[in-house]
Amino acid sequence: MIIAERKPIEEILGLLSKHQKVLVLGCGGCVTVCLAGGEKEVGILSSQLTMARSKEERPLEIVQKTIERQCDFEYFEGIRHIVKDVDAILSLACGIGIQTCAEAFPDKIVWPGVNTKFLGVNLNVGEWAERCQACGQCVLDKTGGICPVARCSKSIFNGPCGGSQDGKCEVSPDTDCAWALIHDRLTRLGEVDSLREILPVKDWSYSRDGGPRKLVREDLELESGK
Amino acid sequence: MSANADFQPKIIVFACENSGWLAAEHAAELALSYPERVELIKLPCSGKIDVLFFMKALEKADGTIVLACQKENCKFIKGNIRAAQRVKQTENLLKEIGIEPERVGLYYLAANMGHKFVEIIQNFYDKIRELGPNPGKVIK
Ligand code: SF4
Ligand code: SF4
Repeated sequence: MIIAERKPIEEILGLLSKHQKVLVLGCGGCVTVCLAGGEKEVGILSSQLTMARSKEERPLEIVQKTIERQCDFEYFEGIRHIVKDVDAILSLACGIGIQTCAEAFPDKIVWPGVNTKFLGVNLNVGEWAERCQACGQCVLDKTGGICPVARCSKSIFNGPCGGSQDGKCEVSPDTDCAWALIHDRLTRLGEVDSLREILPVKDWSYSRDGGPRKLVREDLELESGK
Repeated sequence: MSANADFQPKIIVFACENSGWLAAEHAAELALSYPERVELIKLPCSGKIDVLFFMKALEKADGTIVLACQKENCKFIKGNIRAAQRVKQTENLLKEIGIEPERVGLYYLAANMGHKFVEIIQNFYDKIRELGPNPGKVIK
């Protein structure tokens, strides 16, 4: 899932400073699960914002809404009537949702209410960790299901490097060495010899190498387009 | 005493139905009185309290508290611990926007403590009276 964190309140208050009426728009997807921008966070943030502005004697009217997902255009259709009446939208979706929102409402100011952090996993209540960098050509089959791109601080493919100590990465004692994890897991599975295989260098052309990526699946396309 | 001697705070009290709520009923049986502008809301457990409830309460009140069972005496084991955590979270949200964190609170008591209930309410009421009106109130 995409992990995000709400922006500091002063920053959001700054973004909204010139508005009198805004829509605080939550997303029912990833940001609901990571407690950054779902219905409840929309409620709490809206309370904080209205109180802060009331204290400054510059009231802010807030409309609250959370849609199914902000990364799909169709879910914005049902809120057009709300958007029409507000000065701006504060989107609590991830960076993808915020941009889709802005694209859906080209004449409306859309502000980001969260910082999108990474693609990750929920380890514990209030604790998340990065797991994938969407490199475009997954190598998990070669690495015991542990990603060297996202979880090795140097994204190397021939680790561990000299900085690996007692299973930890030299970057921080809190960070597991991905290559120690890979080695341990493959040992456990009786597959450690597979690491002896000499692999060709990773083809980064599937990653950011060619600029923004796009995926088109002709088998799924309909004549009407989006 | 606050500068505004006429100020009568509005207080919203969330009360666990196994302690605070019964203590309020006990206080009523004993014909004890407490300030008028105190609104009670029953919760199935103090652990049901939510940051959002406190924030919504403070949109229209000057202070809000949750009444929980005595420590280690929660019927649902950890409800009062969760309540304490949510009070802390709310305090932080208030501090972030420059509102006194003292406007939210947690008090422990038992079902048969009618007198204690009134004492808690009165003390909190007096404390909020000292603080003055909630500057962030949205619904005046
Ligand atoms: S907009 Fe972002 S946060 Fe919401 S569902 Fe889509 S990817 Fe997840
Ligand atoms: S190898 Fe690439 S696609 Fe696979 S988990 Fe790592 S970053 Fe993600």
